Amino acid sequence: MVFLKLNSVSVDFPIYSITARSFRQCVLQLTTACTLGKSKRNRVTIRALDNVSFELTHGDRVGLIGHNGAGKSTLLRVLGQIYEPIQGTVISSGKISTLLSLGLGSNLESTGYENIVIQGLLLGLTREQIHLKIDDIAQFSELGSYLSMPVRTYSSGMQLRLSFAVATCFKPEILLMDELIGAGDQGFMKKAQMRLSNFVNQCSIMVLASHSTETIKQFCNKAIFMERGQLRYFGPVQEALAHYEACS
Amino acid sequence: MIESQSLQKISVESVRVSEDLRHAWLDLLEGCKAWRVWLLLAWQDIRLRYRRSTLGPFWITLSMAITIYSMGLLYSKLFKMDLNQYYPFLATGMLSWNLISSLLSDAPTIFVDAESFIKQIKQPYCSFIFRAVARNLIIFAHNTLVLVPIMIFFHMPFHYVSLLFGLSLLLIVLNASGYGMLLAILGTRFRDIAQLVTSLLQVIFFLTPIMWSSKVLSQKYQFVVELNPFAHMLNLIRDPLLGIVPPLYSWLVILGITAFGLLAAFIVFARYRARIAYWL
Repeated sequence: MVFLKLNSVSVDFPIYSITARSFRQCVLQLTTACTLGKSKRNRVTIRALDNVSFELTHGDRVGLIGHNGAGKSTLLRVLGQIYEPIQGTVISSGKISTLLSLGLGSNLESTGYENIVIQGLLLGLTREQIHLKIDDIAQFSELGSYLSMPVRTYSSGMQLRLSFAVATCFKPEILLMDELIGAGDQGFMKKAQMRLSNFVNQCSIMVLASHSTETIKQFCNKAIFMERGQLRYFGPVQEALAHYEACS
Repeated sequence: MIESQSLQKISVESVRVSEDLRHAWLDLLEGCKAWRVWLLLAWQDIRLRYRRSTLGPFWITLSMAITIYSMGLLYSKLFKMDLNQYYPFLATGMLSWNLISSLLSDAPTIFVDAESFIKQIKQPYCSFIFRAVARNLIIFAHNTLVLVPIMIFFHMPFHYVSLLFGLSLLLIVLNASGYGMLLAILGTRFRDIAQLVTSLLQVIFFLTPIMWSSKVLSQKYQFVVELNPFAHMLNLIRDPLLGIVPPLYSWLVILGITAFGLLAAFIVFARYRARIAYWL
Protein backbone atom coordinates (compact mmCIF):
# COMPACT_ATOMS: atom_id res chain seq x y z
CA MET A 1 0.00 0.00 0.00
CA VAL A 2 1.58 3.20 -1.18
CA PHE A 3 0.86 6.38 0.74
CA LEU A 4 2.34 9.70 1.81
CA LYS A 5 1.09 11.41 4.94
CA LEU A 6 2.03 14.78 6.37
CA ASN A 7 1.04 15.62 9.92
CA SER A 8 1.16 19.36 10.72
CA VAL A 9 4.60 19.72 9.20
CA SER A 10 6.56 22.93 9.69
CA VAL A 11 9.95 23.80 8.25
CA ASP A 12 12.17 26.71 9.27
CA PHE A 13 15.15 27.80 7.25
CA PRO A 14 18.04 29.34 9.11
CA ILE A 15 19.31 32.43 7.35
CA TYR A 16 22.85 33.11 8.40
CA SER A 17 24.60 36.43 8.14
CA ILE A 18 28.09 36.33 6.72
CA THR A 19 29.64 36.57 10.17
CA ALA A 20 27.53 33.68 11.42
CA ARG A 21 28.96 31.51 8.63
CA SER A 22 32.50 32.24 9.70
CA PHE A 23 34.06 30.10 12.38
CA ARG A 24 36.69 32.75 13.09
CA GLN A 25 34.07 35.46 13.59
CA CYS A 26 32.00 33.24 15.86
CA VAL A 27 34.98 32.47 18.03
CA LEU A 28 35.89 36.16 18.16
CA GLN A 29 32.32 37.05 19.04
CA LEU A 30 32.36 34.48 21.79
CA THR A 31 35.33 36.19 23.44
CA THR A 32 33.95 39.71 23.09
CA ALA A 33 30.56 38.53 24.30
CA CYS A 34 32.24 37.31 27.46
CA THR A 35 33.87 40.64 28.15
CA LEU A 36 30.91 42.78 27.19
CA GLY A 37 28.46 40.51 28.89
CA LYS A 38 26.10 40.23 25.98
CA SER A 39 25.78 37.72 23.19
CA LYS A 40 24.34 38.66 19.86
CA ARG A 41 22.88 35.83 17.83
CA ASN A 42 22.35 37.20 14.39
CA ARG A 43 20.27 34.27 13.24
CA VAL A 44 17.04 34.77 11.39
CA THR A 45 14.71 31.97 10.45
CA ILE A 46 12.19 31.89 7.70
CA ARG A 47 9.17 29.68 7.97
CA ALA A 48 9.02 27.88 4.65
CA LEU A 49 6.25 25.47 5.55
CA ASP A 50 3.65 26.23 8.19
CA ASN A 51 1.55 23.48 9.69
CA VAL A 52 0.94 21.53 6.48
CA SER A 53 -1.12 18.35 6.67
CA PHE A 54 -2.48 16.13 3.95
CA GLU A 55 -2.60 12.54 2.88
CA LEU A 56 -2.02 11.03 -0.54
CA THR A 57 -2.87 7.51 -1.58
CA HIS A 58 -2.43 5.44 -4.70
CA GLY A 59 -3.63 6.90 -7.96
CA ASP A 60 -3.15 10.47 -6.77
CA ARG A 61 -1.51 12.68 -9.36
CA VAL A 62 -1.16 15.92 -7.50
CA GLY A 63 -0.24 19.29 -8.94
CA LEU A 64 1.46 21.78 -6.64
CA ILE A 65 0.61 25.38 -7.48
CA GLY A 66 1.49 28.67 -5.89
CA HIS A 67 3.55 31.80 -6.42
CA ASN A 68 7.32 31.91 -6.27
CA GLY A 69 8.46 31.26 -2.72
CA ALA A 70 5.17 29.70 -1.66
CA GLY A 71 7.03 26.62 -0.47
CA LYS A 72 6.45 24.27 -3.39
CA SER A 73 10.05 23.10 -3.76
CA THR A 74 10.50 22.86 0.00
CA LEU A 75 7.36 20.74 0.24
CA LEU A 76 8.70 18.42 -2.47
CA ARG A 77 11.98 18.09 -0.59
CA VAL A 78 10.14 17.32 2.63
CA LEU A 79 8.13 14.66 0.81
CA GLY A 80 11.37 13.27 -0.59
CA GLN A 81 12.83 13.13 2.94
CA ILE A 82 15.63 15.51 2.04
CA TYR A 83 14.57 18.10 4.60
CA GLU A 84 13.46 16.66 7.90
CA PRO A 85 10.73 18.89 9.37
CA ILE A 86 11.37 20.62 12.68
CA GLN A 87 7.77 19.97 13.71
CA GLY A 88 5.30 17.35 12.62
CA THR A 89 5.89 14.05 10.90
CA VAL A 90 6.14 12.65 7.41
CA ILE A 91 5.09 9.05 7.07
CA SER A 92 5.40 7.27 3.76
CA SER A 93 5.41 3.82 2.32
CA GLY A 94 6.71 3.10 -1.15
CA LYS A 95 9.84 3.67 -3.16
CA ILE A 96 10.37 7.39 -3.79
CA SER A 97 12.01 8.80 -6.89
CA THR A 98 12.78 12.51 -7.09
CA LEU A 99 13.27 14.60 -10.21
CA LEU A 100 13.87 18.01 -8.68
CA SER A 101 16.26 19.56 -11.13
CA LEU A 102 17.82 18.63 -14.44
CA GLY A 103 20.68 16.22 -14.42
CA LEU A 104 20.74 14.62 -10.99
CA GLY A 105 24.34 13.93 -10.12
CA SER A 106 25.19 14.48 -13.71
CA ASN A 107 28.61 15.57 -14.57
CA LEU A 108 28.71 17.63 -17.72
CA GLU A 109 31.97 16.04 -18.81
CA SER A 110 30.63 12.50 -18.49
CA THR A 111 28.82 10.79 -21.32
CA GLY A 112 25.11 10.07 -21.36
CA TYR A 113 25.76 6.41 -20.60
CA GLU A 114 27.91 7.21 -17.58
CA ASN A 115 25.22 9.53 -16.29
CA ILE A 116 22.57 6.86 -16.68
CA VAL A 117 24.64 4.50 -14.56
CA ILE A 118 25.26 7.10 -11.84
CA GLN A 119 21.67 8.28 -11.73
CA GLY A 120 20.46 4.70 -11.68
CA LEU A 121 22.77 3.78 -8.80
CA LEU A 122 21.66 6.88 -6.88
CA LEU A 123 18.05 5.82 -7.38
CA GLY A 124 18.93 2.49 -5.82
CA LEU A 125 19.27 0.22 -8.85
CA THR A 126 22.06 -2.27 -9.33
CA ARG A 127 24.31 -2.20 -12.38
CA GLU A 128 22.57 -5.28 -13.82
CA GLN A 129 19.18 -3.64 -13.49
CA ILE A 130 20.49 -0.50 -15.16
CA HIS A 131 21.88 -2.48 -18.09
CA LEU A 132 18.51 -4.09 -18.59
CA LYS A 133 16.88 -0.65 -18.70
CA ILE A 134 19.37 1.05 -20.96
CA ASP A 135 17.56 0.19 -24.20
CA ASP A 136 14.30 1.50 -22.78
CA ILE A 137 16.02 4.72 -21.69
CA ALA A 138 17.76 5.19 -25.02
CA GLN A 139 14.50 4.64 -26.85
CA PHE A 140 12.42 6.94 -24.69
CA SER A 141 14.98 9.75 -24.57
CA GLU A 142 15.55 9.50 -28.35
CA LEU A 143 19.18 10.30 -27.77
CA GLY A 144 20.57 7.42 -29.82
CA SER A 145 24.24 7.94 -30.55
CA TYR A 146 24.28 11.12 -28.44
CA LEU A 147 24.41 8.84 -25.40
CA SER A 148 28.12 8.33 -25.93
CA MET A 149 28.76 12.09 -26.05
CA PRO A 150 29.46 14.30 -23.03
CA VAL A 151 26.31 15.71 -21.45
CA ARG A 152 27.62 19.26 -21.85
CA THR A 153 26.81 18.96 -25.57
CA TYR A 154 23.11 18.29 -24.82
CA SER A 155 20.35 20.85 -25.07
CA SER A 156 18.20 21.31 -21.96
CA GLY A 157 15.41 19.38 -23.64
CA MET A 158 17.75 16.45 -24.22
CA GLN A 159 18.93 16.57 -20.62
CA LEU A 160 15.32 16.59 -19.47
CA ARG A 161 14.45 13.58 -21.61
CA LEU A 162 17.43 11.67 -20.21
CA SER A 163 16.71 12.54 -16.56
CA PHE A 164 13.02 11.86 -16.97
CA ALA A 165 13.65 8.52 -18.66
CA VAL A 166 15.98 7.38 -15.87
CA ALA A 167 13.75 8.62 -13.05
CA THR A 168 10.74 6.80 -14.46
CA CYS A 169 12.43 3.72 -15.94
CA PHE A 170 12.00 1.54 -12.88
CA LYS A 171 8.42 2.43 -12.05
CA PRO A 172 8.88 4.23 -8.75
CA GLU A 173 5.91 4.02 -6.45
CA ILE A 174 6.13 7.72 -5.65
CA LEU A 175 7.46 10.29 -8.12
CA LEU A 176 8.21 13.86 -7.09
CA MET A 177 8.89 16.41 -9.84
CA ASP A 178 9.68 20.11 -9.85
CA GLU A 179 8.85 22.37 -12.80
CA LEU A 180 10.58 20.05 -15.20
CA ILE A 181 8.13 19.09 -17.83
CA GLY A 182 7.92 22.66 -19.11
CA ALA A 183 11.30 22.33 -20.79
CA GLY A 184 10.11 19.63 -23.17
CA ASP A 185 8.55 20.15 -26.57
CA GLN A 186 5.08 19.02 -27.69
CA GLY A 187 6.22 15.56 -28.73
CA PHE A 188 7.94 14.97 -25.44
CA MET A 189 4.91 16.18 -23.47
CA LYS A 190 2.79 13.57 -25.19
CA LYS A 191 5.24 10.75 -24.51
CA ALA A 192 5.79 11.88 -20.94
CA GLN A 193 2.08 11.88 -20.33
CA MET A 194 1.74 8.38 -21.70
CA ARG A 195 4.59 7.13 -19.55
CA LEU A 196 3.20 8.84 -16.47
CA SER A 197 -0.36 7.62 -16.96
CA ASN A 198 1.15 4.21 -17.50
CA PHE A 199 2.69 4.09 -14.08
CA VAL A 200 -0.10 5.89 -12.31
CA ASN A 201 -2.21 2.93 -13.39
CA GLN A 202 0.08 0.79 -11.29
CA CYS A 203 -1.06 2.38 -8.05
CA SER A 204 1.47 5.13 -7.65
CA ILE A 205 1.59 8.68 -6.43
CA MET A 206 2.94 11.62 -8.36
CA VAL A 207 3.48 15.13 -7.06
CA LEU A 208 4.34 17.74 -9.65
CA ALA A 209 5.11 21.39 -8.94
CA SER A 210 4.48 23.74 -11.83
CA HIS A 211 3.56 27.29 -12.74
CA SER A 212 1.89 26.17 -15.93
CA THR A 213 -1.84 25.58 -15.52
CA GLU A 214 -1.75 23.65 -18.81
CA THR A 215 0.75 21.16 -17.40
CA ILE A 216 -1.25 20.72 -14.22
CA LYS A 217 -4.47 20.14 -16.14
CA GLN A 218 -2.74 17.67 -18.42
CA PHE A 219 -1.03 15.53 -15.80
CA CYS A 220 -2.91 15.84 -12.54
CA ASN A 221 -6.21 14.76 -11.05
CA LYS A 222 -5.80 16.72 -7.80
CA ALA A 223 -4.05 19.93 -6.86
CA ILE A 224 -2.60 21.63 -3.83
CA PHE A 225 -2.54 25.42 -3.69
CA MET A 226 0.18 26.81 -1.46
CA GLU A 227 0.56 30.36 -0.21
CA ARG A 228 3.33 31.64 2.07
CA GLY A 229 4.17 28.18 3.28
CA GLN A 230 0.59 27.29 4.14
CA LEU A 231 -1.71 24.85 2.46
CA ARG A 232 -4.66 26.91 1.15
CA TYR A 233 -6.53 24.33 -0.81
CA PHE A 234 -6.34 20.63 -1.53
CA GLY A 235 -8.82 19.09 -3.89
CA PRO A 236 -9.91 18.88 -7.52
CA VAL A 237 -7.71 20.65 -10.06
CA GLN A 238 -10.36 23.10 -11.30
CA GLU A 239 -11.16 24.49 -7.85
CA ALA A 240 -7.51 24.76 -6.85
CA LEU A 241 -6.75 26.67 -10.04
CA ALA A 242 -9.70 28.93 -9.36
CA HIS A 243 -8.32 29.71 -5.88
CA TYR A 244 -4.90 30.31 -7.37
CA GLU A 245 -6.23 32.70 -9.99
CA ALA A 246 -8.39 34.52 -7.45
CA CYS A 247 -5.24 35.21 -5.46
CA SER A 248 -3.10 36.49 -8.32
CA MET B 1 3.47 18.64 39.83
CA ILE B 2 6.57 20.47 38.69
CA GLU B 3 8.58 17.35 39.25
CA SER B 4 6.36 15.25 37.01
CA GLN B 5 6.57 17.93 34.32
CA SER B 6 10.33 17.95 34.39
CA LEU B 7 10.37 14.16 34.36
CA GLN B 8 8.16 14.21 31.30
CA LYS B 9 10.52 16.71 29.67
CA ILE B 10 13.48 14.45 30.35
CA SER B 11 11.72 11.42 28.90
CA VAL B 12 10.75 13.36 25.74
CA GLU B 13 14.34 14.50 25.43
CA SER B 14 15.69 10.97 25.85
CA VAL B 15 13.31 9.65 23.19
CA ARG B 16 14.60 12.34 20.81
CA VAL B 17 18.22 11.46 21.53
CA SER B 18 17.66 7.75 21.00
CA GLU B 19 15.82 8.50 17.74
CA ASP B 20 18.78 10.64 16.62
CA LEU B 21 21.22 7.86 17.42
CA ARG B 22 19.07 5.30 15.60
CA HIS B 23 18.88 7.47 12.47
CA ALA B 24 22.64 8.06 12.54
CA TRP B 25 23.25 4.33 12.82
CA LEU B 26 20.86 3.59 9.93
CA ASP B 27 22.62 6.24 7.85
CA LEU B 28 25.95 4.55 8.54
CA LEU B 29 24.60 1.12 7.58
CA GLU B 30 22.99 2.41 4.40
CA GLY B 31 26.18 4.31 3.56
CA CYS B 32 28.11 1.04 3.76
CA LYS B 33 25.50 -0.71 1.65
CA ALA B 34 25.72 2.00 -1.01
CA TRP B 35 29.36 1.13 -1.79
CA ARG B 36 28.54 0.89 -5.48
CA VAL B 37 27.53 4.52 -5.53
CA TRP B 38 30.43 6.04 -3.61
CA LEU B 39 33.06 3.89 -5.23
CA LEU B 40 31.80 4.92 -8.66
CA LEU B 41 31.67 8.58 -7.63
CA ALA B 42 35.21 8.36 -6.28
CA TRP B 43 36.45 6.89 -9.55
CA GLN B 44 34.54 9.49 -11.49
CA ASP B 45 36.11 12.30 -9.45
CA ILE B 46 39.55 11.09 -10.44
CA ARG B 47 38.70 10.29 -14.04
CA LEU B 48 37.09 13.67 -14.65
CA ARG B 49 40.00 15.56 -13.20
CA TYR B 50 42.29 13.98 -15.77
CA ARG B 51 39.87 13.19 -18.58
CA ARG B 52 41.59 15.24 -21.24
CA SER B 53 45.14 14.16 -20.51
CA THR B 54 46.87 11.11 -21.95
CA LEU B 55 48.60 10.13 -18.71
CA GLY B 56 45.31 10.20 -16.82
CA PRO B 57 45.56 9.79 -13.07
CA PHE B 58 49.26 9.12 -13.44
CA TRP B 59 49.74 12.86 -13.67
CA ILE B 60 49.42 12.84 -9.89
CA THR B 61 52.13 10.20 -9.69
CA LEU B 62 54.39 12.12 -12.03
CA SER B 63 54.10 15.40 -10.15
CA MET B 64 54.65 13.55 -6.88
CA ALA B 65 57.74 11.87 -8.33
CA ILE B 66 59.22 15.17 -9.49
CA THR B 67 58.66 16.75 -6.08
CA ILE B 68 60.14 13.86 -4.15
CA TYR B 69 63.13 13.24 -6.39
CA SER B 70 64.18 16.88 -6.57
CA MET B 71 63.52 17.55 -2.89
CA GLY B 72 65.46 14.43 -1.93
CA LEU B 73 68.51 15.55 -3.84
CA LEU B 74 68.47 19.05 -2.36
CA TYR B 75 67.62 18.22 1.26
CA SER B 76 70.02 15.32 1.55
CA LYS B 77 72.76 17.87 0.85
CA LEU B 78 71.23 20.40 3.27
CA PHE B 79 70.87 17.88 6.09
CA LYS B 80 74.17 16.22 5.08
CA MET B 81 72.49 12.81 5.02
CA ASP B 82 73.31 9.73 3.00
CA LEU B 83 71.14 9.52 -0.14
CA ASN B 84 70.75 5.78 0.56
CA GLN B 85 68.92 6.57 3.74
CA TYR B 86 67.37 9.91 2.98
CA TYR B 87 65.60 9.04 -0.28
CA PRO B 88 63.51 6.14 1.09
CA PHE B 89 62.83 8.15 4.26
CA LEU B 90 61.65 11.24 2.39
CA ALA B 91 59.67 9.34 -0.24
CA THR B 92 57.70 7.25 2.26
CA GLY B 93 57.21 10.31 4.46
CA MET B 94 55.95 12.50 1.63
CA LEU B 95 53.58 9.78 0.41
CA SER B 96 52.11 9.29 3.86
CA TRP B 97 51.81 13.02 4.47
CA ASN B 98 50.19 13.54 1.10
CA LEU B 99 47.54 10.97 2.00
CA ILE B 100 46.86 12.46 5.44
CA SER B 101 46.83 16.07 4.30
CA SER B 102 44.63 15.50 1.26
CA LEU B 103 42.13 13.56 3.38
CA LEU B 104 42.00 16.44 5.86
CA SER B 105 41.89 19.25 3.33
CA ASP B 106 39.08 17.57 1.36
CA ALA B 107 36.99 16.90 4.47
CA PRO B 108 35.42 20.33 5.20
CA THR B 109 33.92 20.59 1.72
CA ILE B 110 32.58 17.03 1.45
CA PHE B 111 28.92 17.99 1.93
CA VAL B 112 29.27 21.40 0.30
CA ASP B 113 30.60 19.76 -2.86
CA ALA B 114 27.84 17.17 -2.78
CA GLU B 115 25.09 19.80 -2.50
CA SER B 116 23.58 18.91 -5.87
CA PHE B 117 23.19 15.29 -4.73
CA ILE B 118 22.02 15.99 -1.20
CA LYS B 119 19.36 18.48 -2.24
CA GLN B 120 17.93 16.28 -4.96
CA ILE B 121 17.67 12.79 -3.66
CA LYS B 122 17.83 11.17 -0.28
CA GLN B 123 21.21 9.56 0.15
CA PRO B 124 23.00 8.39 3.28
CA TYR B 125 25.36 11.20 4.34
CA CYS B 126 28.05 8.66 5.22
CA SER B 127 28.39 7.65 1.59
CA PHE B 128 29.82 11.09 0.74
CA ILE B 129 32.43 10.67 3.48
CA PHE B 130 33.32 7.23 2.12
CA ARG B 131 33.52 8.70 -1.38
CA ALA B 132 36.19 11.19 -0.26
CA VAL B 133 38.13 8.50 1.63
CA ALA B 134 38.00 6.12 -1.33
CA ARG B 135 39.10 8.86 -3.74
CA ASN B 136 42.16 9.70 -1.67
CA LEU B 137 43.08 6.05 -1.20
CA ILE B 138 42.95 5.53 -4.96
CA ILE B 139 45.22 8.53 -5.47
CA PHE B 140 47.54 7.17 -2.79
CA ALA B 141 47.68 3.83 -4.60
CA HIS B 142 48.76 5.64 -7.77
CA ASN B 143 51.37 7.57 -5.81
CA THR B 144 52.98 4.49 -4.28
CA LEU B 145 54.41 3.78 -7.73
CA VAL B 146 56.92 6.55 -6.96
CA LEU B 147 58.51 4.13 -4.49
CA VAL B 148 59.29 1.48 -7.11
CA PRO B 149 62.36 3.16 -8.70
CA ILE B 150 63.68 4.04 -5.24
CA MET B 151 63.24 0.46 -4.04
CA ILE B 152 65.12 -0.86 -7.05
CA PHE B 153 67.83 1.78 -7.09
CA PHE B 154 68.63 1.64 -3.38
CA HIS B 155 68.08 -2.12 -3.07
CA MET B 156 65.38 -1.87 -0.41
CA PRO B 157 64.68 -5.48 0.61
CA PHE B 158 61.20 -6.76 1.36
CA HIS B 159 60.44 -7.08 5.04
CA TYR B 160 57.65 -9.08 6.62
CA VAL B 161 57.22 -6.08 8.89
CA SER B 162 55.82 -4.25 5.88
CA LEU B 163 52.64 -6.30 6.26
CA LEU B 164 51.87 -4.12 9.29
CA PHE B 165 51.17 -1.44 6.72
CA GLY B 166 47.74 -3.00 6.17
CA LEU B 167 46.85 -2.37 9.79
CA SER B 168 48.08 1.23 9.56
CA LEU B 169 45.97 1.76 6.47
CA LEU B 170 42.91 0.50 8.34
CA LEU B 171 43.58 3.03 11.10
CA ILE B 172 43.93 5.76 8.47
CA VAL B 173 40.55 4.82 7.00
CA LEU B 174 38.88 4.85 10.42
CA ASN B 175 40.41 8.22 11.31
CA ALA B 176 39.62 9.69 7.92
CA SER B 177 35.98 8.63 8.32
CA GLY B 178 35.64 9.86 11.91
CA TYR B 179 37.48 13.16 11.70
CA GLY B 180 36.30 13.55 8.11
CA MET B 181 32.70 13.48 9.34
CA LEU B 182 33.46 16.02 12.11
CA LEU B 183 35.19 18.38 9.70
CA ALA B 184 32.54 17.89 7.03
CA ILE B 185 29.72 18.88 9.42
CA LEU B 186 31.72 21.80 10.82
CA GLY B 187 32.73 22.88 7.32
CA THR B 188 29.12 22.89 6.14
CA ARG B 189 28.00 25.14 8.99
CA PHE B 190 31.11 27.37 8.99
CA ARG B 191 32.39 27.96 5.51
CA ASP B 192 35.84 29.22 6.54
CA ILE B 193 36.82 25.90 8.12
CA ALA B 194 38.29 24.79 4.77
CA GLN B 195 40.74 27.69 4.69
CA LEU B 196 41.54 27.20 8.35
CA VAL B 197 42.41 23.54 7.79
CA THR B 198 44.56 24.37 4.75
CA SER B 199 46.63 26.90 6.65
CA LEU B 200 46.96 24.64 9.68
CA LEU B 201 48.18 21.82 7.45
CA GLN B 202 50.98 24.07 6.19
CA VAL B 203 52.21 24.59 9.74
CA ILE B 204 51.85 20.93 10.65
CA PHE B 205 53.89 19.95 7.59
CA PHE B 206 56.92 21.75 9.01
CA LEU B 207 56.36 20.63 12.60
CA THR B 208 56.15 16.95 11.63
CA PRO B 209 59.20 14.86 10.82
CA ILE B 210 58.54 14.45 7.12
CA MET B 211 61.56 16.12 5.55
CA TRP B 212 63.62 15.92 8.72
CA SER B 213 64.22 12.97 10.99
CA SER B 214 63.27 13.24 14.65
CA LYS B 215 66.82 12.09 15.46
CA VAL B 216 68.23 15.51 14.58
CA LEU B 217 66.19 17.12 17.36
CA SER B 218 67.95 17.52 20.68
CA GLN B 219 66.43 15.87 23.75
CA LYS B 220 65.06 19.23 24.85
CA TYR B 221 62.87 19.57 21.76
CA GLN B 222 61.74 15.95 21.43
CA PHE B 223 58.33 17.00 22.74
CA VAL B 224 57.57 18.55 19.34
CA VAL B 225 57.47 15.01 17.98
CA GLU B 226 56.20 13.25 21.10
CA LEU B 227 53.11 15.43 21.41
CA ASN B 228 52.39 15.61 17.70
CA PRO B 229 49.68 13.09 16.71
CA PHE B 230 50.64 13.49 13.06
CA ALA B 231 54.17 12.32 13.84
CA HIS B 232 52.74 9.15 15.38
CA MET B 233 50.40 8.55 12.45
CA LEU B 234 53.35 9.06 10.12
CA ASN B 235 55.36 6.51 12.12
CA LEU B 236 52.62 3.96 11.61
CA ILE B 237 52.61 4.37 7.84
CA ARG B 238 56.25 5.07 7.13
CA ASP B 239 58.01 2.63 9.45
CA PRO B 240 56.47 -0.56 8.02
CA LEU B 241 57.40 0.57 4.50
CA LEU B 242 61.00 1.08 5.65
CA GLY B 243 61.02 -2.33 7.35
CA ILE B 244 60.84 -1.03 10.92
CA VAL B 245 58.22 -1.99 13.52
CA PRO B 246 56.50 1.24 14.60
CA PRO B 247 56.97 2.02 18.31
CA LEU B 248 54.28 0.74 20.67
CA TYR B 249 53.76 4.26 22.00
CA SER B 250 52.68 5.44 18.52
CA TRP B 251 50.20 2.56 18.21
CA LEU B 252 48.65 3.41 21.57
CA VAL B 253 48.40 7.13 20.84
CA ILE B 254 46.78 6.54 17.46
CA LEU B 255 44.40 3.88 18.80
CA GLY B 256 43.25 6.36 21.45
CA ILE B 257 42.84 9.14 18.91
CA THR B 258 40.90 6.82 16.59
CA ALA B 259 38.52 5.70 19.31
CA PHE B 260 37.89 9.28 20.39
CA GLY B 261 37.37 10.44 16.81
CA LEU B 262 34.87 7.71 15.94
CA LEU B 263 32.87 8.29 19.12
CA ALA B 264 32.84 12.07 18.74
CA ALA B 265 31.93 11.80 15.06
CA PHE B 266 29.01 9.50 15.80
CA ILE B 267 27.62 11.73 18.54
CA VAL B 268 28.00 14.94 16.52
CA PHE B 269 26.55 13.26 13.44
CA ALA B 270 23.55 11.98 15.40
CA ARG B 271 22.95 15.47 16.81
CA TYR B 272 23.34 17.46 13.57
CA ARG B 273 22.50 14.99 10.79
CA ALA B 274 19.07 16.46 10.09
CA ARG B 275 20.51 20.00 9.94
CA ILE B 276 23.06 19.34 7.20
CA ALA B 277 20.59 19.76 4.34
CA TYR B 278 19.42 23.07 5.82
CA TRP B 279 22.95 24.42 6.09
CA LEU B 280 23.68 23.88 2.41
